[in-house]
Amino acid sequence: MQILDWLFKVPTGATPGTAAVTAKDRMRNMLTHDRLELPAGKLEVLEEELTAVVARYFDLEPDTTRFDLKQIDRKAALIANFQLVRSKC
Amino acid sequence: MSGRVIVITSGKGGVGKTTASANIGVALANTGASVCLVDMDIGLRNLDILMGLENRVVYNLVDVVEERCKLRQALVKDKRMPNLSLLPAAQTRDKTAVNAEQMKKLCEELKSMFDFVLVDSPAGIESGFQNAIAGAEEAIVITTPEMSAVRDADRIIGLLEAQKDQITQYRLVLNRLRPKMVANSDMMGVEDVLEILSVKLLGVVPEDEEIIISTNKGEPVSGTDNTRSGLAFRNIARRLRGEEVPFMDLDVKNDTWVTRIVNFFNPVRV
Repeated sequence: MQILDWLFKVPTGATPGTAAVTAKDRMRNMLTHDRLELPAGKLEVLEEELTAVVARYFDLEPDTTRFDLKQIDRKAALIANFQLVRSKC
Repeated sequence: MSGRVIVITSGKGGVGKTTASANIGVALANTGASVCLVDMDIGLRNLDILMGLENRVVYNLVDVVEERCKLRQALVKDKRMPNLSLLPAAQTRDKTAVNAEQMKKLCEELKSMFDFVLVDSPAGIESGFQNAIAGAEEAIVITTPEMSAVRDADRIIGLLEAQKDQITQYRLVLNRLRPKMVANSDMMGVEDVLEILSVKLLGVVPEDEEIIISTNKGEPVSGTDNTRSGLAFRNIARRLRGEEVPFMDLDVKNDTWVTRIVNFFNPVRV
């Protein structure tokens, strides 16, 4: 069936779930932590605390809060996304 | 004359630092430049073997530093290329035999004698590495596309960044790339590694059995014409000399019937 696979193969980019994509995702995550010298688990604590602070001022849409630790060149950026429903003040 | 001192380093061992040093050295010498290869892997000397010069080593780097001989006496001239010399490492000492100040002084002296001084750094990030970079103004970071090698390369890049005033530029050589595995998404490719490390690319060297054969013969592949890895190293040498050389097309990603038809009518240069 290999010839059939090849015949139907369409030129594509990276496929999620392949070893290459998994390696790249793991690498990104690992290097972000390495570069910041961030111990495992600390980021999760920070995220909880940040959410708690925002939640004192706003009602938050449940299950929508998202944190992203991104690399821009060799610098890291923490991007937080809160969906606000209304002010609590 | 004031030559360029370039350190070749990787963090992780076994990724091809010494092979790259030998091959880039030979390729640079073939462009007409005078080159000195310095083996800084004190205690684990190997560069002499790759160059096929192991029987001609009399004095070594530690002898020079400890003034048991003149620098010129320790340099082993390659008979095949009179403009290529090797300063061998000591085999019976360890990394503490030389310090950063001594290394700086040695590099200054070599710079006045050669166009290029290539320093083959030992693996690791400790004193051996710190000594190897002490006299350098440029660095070549070697990695393979494997996760552990990329992680260690990142650590090295971080350390080089911290020495920005001294090491003004560093570039990456991606070694032992397996184009077929990349095409099958079984391992990371050039773009992936460059994106992760955010670093400038100096060259890509494909995995090649010829490297093993050439090591056994003591004749670096970049000195012969007909190997892909040899061509890759020669391209690296030309880029080091400031030439714009397009990267080799190692991509087999688009091997589909569509691309085969397109390529049939429009053959591309490999």
